Amino acid sequence: MSEPSNVPSKEPKGEPLRPGDIDGVIHERVRLSIVSALAVTAQLSFGELKSMLGLTDGNLSVHARTLEEAGYIIVEKSFQGRRPHTAMRLTPKGRKAFARYLETLRQIVEQGHRGGQDYS
Amino acid sequence: MEVDEAQARMREIQRIMETATLFTLLPGTAAIVGGLLVLLGCGASYGLLHSLNFADIMQLPMPGRITLCLLWSTIAIVSVIVNVLYTARLAARQRIAINPRPAQVAMFSLTPCVVVAAVLTLQFLMDGEPREIRYIAPLWMLLYGTGIYTAGLFSVRAPRLLGLAFLLLGILALFAFPDYGVISVGLSFGLLHIVFGTYILMKQRQGAAP
Repeated sequence: MSEPSNVPSKEPKGEPLRPGDIDGVIHERVRLSIVSALAVTAQLSFGELKSMLGLTDGNLSVHARTLEEAGYIIVEKSFQGRRPHTAMRLTPKGRKAFARYLETLRQIVEQGHRGGQDYS
Repeated sequence: MEVDEAQARMREIQRIMETATLFTLLPGTAAIVGGLLVLLGCGASYGLLHSLNFADIMQLPMPGRITLCLLWSTIAIVSVIVNVLYTARLAARQRIAINPRPAQVAMFSLTPCVVVAAVLTLQFLMDGEPREIRYIAPLWMLLYGTGIYTAGLFSVRAPRLLGLAFLLLGILALFAFPDYGVISVGLSFGLLHIVFGTYILMKQRQGAAP
């Protein structure tokens, strides 16, 4: 299985994986989906993310806030005419964390094929 | 985390990234160019037919009929080529694959509709029956609209809205204005594509998803 090609990992490879290396903020499924979508776009609106990921307003809001508090995304609120408009984009810190998470997944798969360990 | 879960997550990440990639791969400029070509085609068709009804092709001498068919075939082919070129340029600029899986699925959704429209058009022209030929424009609008709408299910909202607009205009053209095919085509394949392309470009320049 190949790593998603759009985000090259910049993390050093080959270091042994330790339990606890998995980033809990990104690891949650909905947050991982949000970060994955933002990793390949300049920014996405709240509505588009909601529609693309099949989320409710509340669900997206809660997880976006967690990502924002972790410094992984920036949430920008503005008005388009009279309508409020919320856009989100990934920060350099979020991009780095995502690359690190991908590298962790890759290592789990690699080490699993070699010997098999559980890092949850 | 188990290996199976890690692999499942990588697949899920890949799927989401490919879907999100489509946000940036909609070639707005190509849609505008295609729309303008169609408007030119409508003007040329009116010049040849001296009528707004494509069924009047049967009143043209054979060279005129062939010219009209070649005109629209050329417009279709050039539009497809322009689309592919602009998509490739966008993909290269953003260093992403030109044919992520959702794009392939979208293409597979559109192709049967276009093939059916082309086959029925050929049959209507071979029959040479004006009552059938006047339905060619609504037929293309309805089938293209269906294809775009279905393809849009694997993409963002904008193509779905374009598909719906084609379907609505197609229904209107079929029941209310079957004898004004040149105008119907100009409004749908011409104007709608220009509006759609402008909207996409506007959104992409804002950095937001269409």
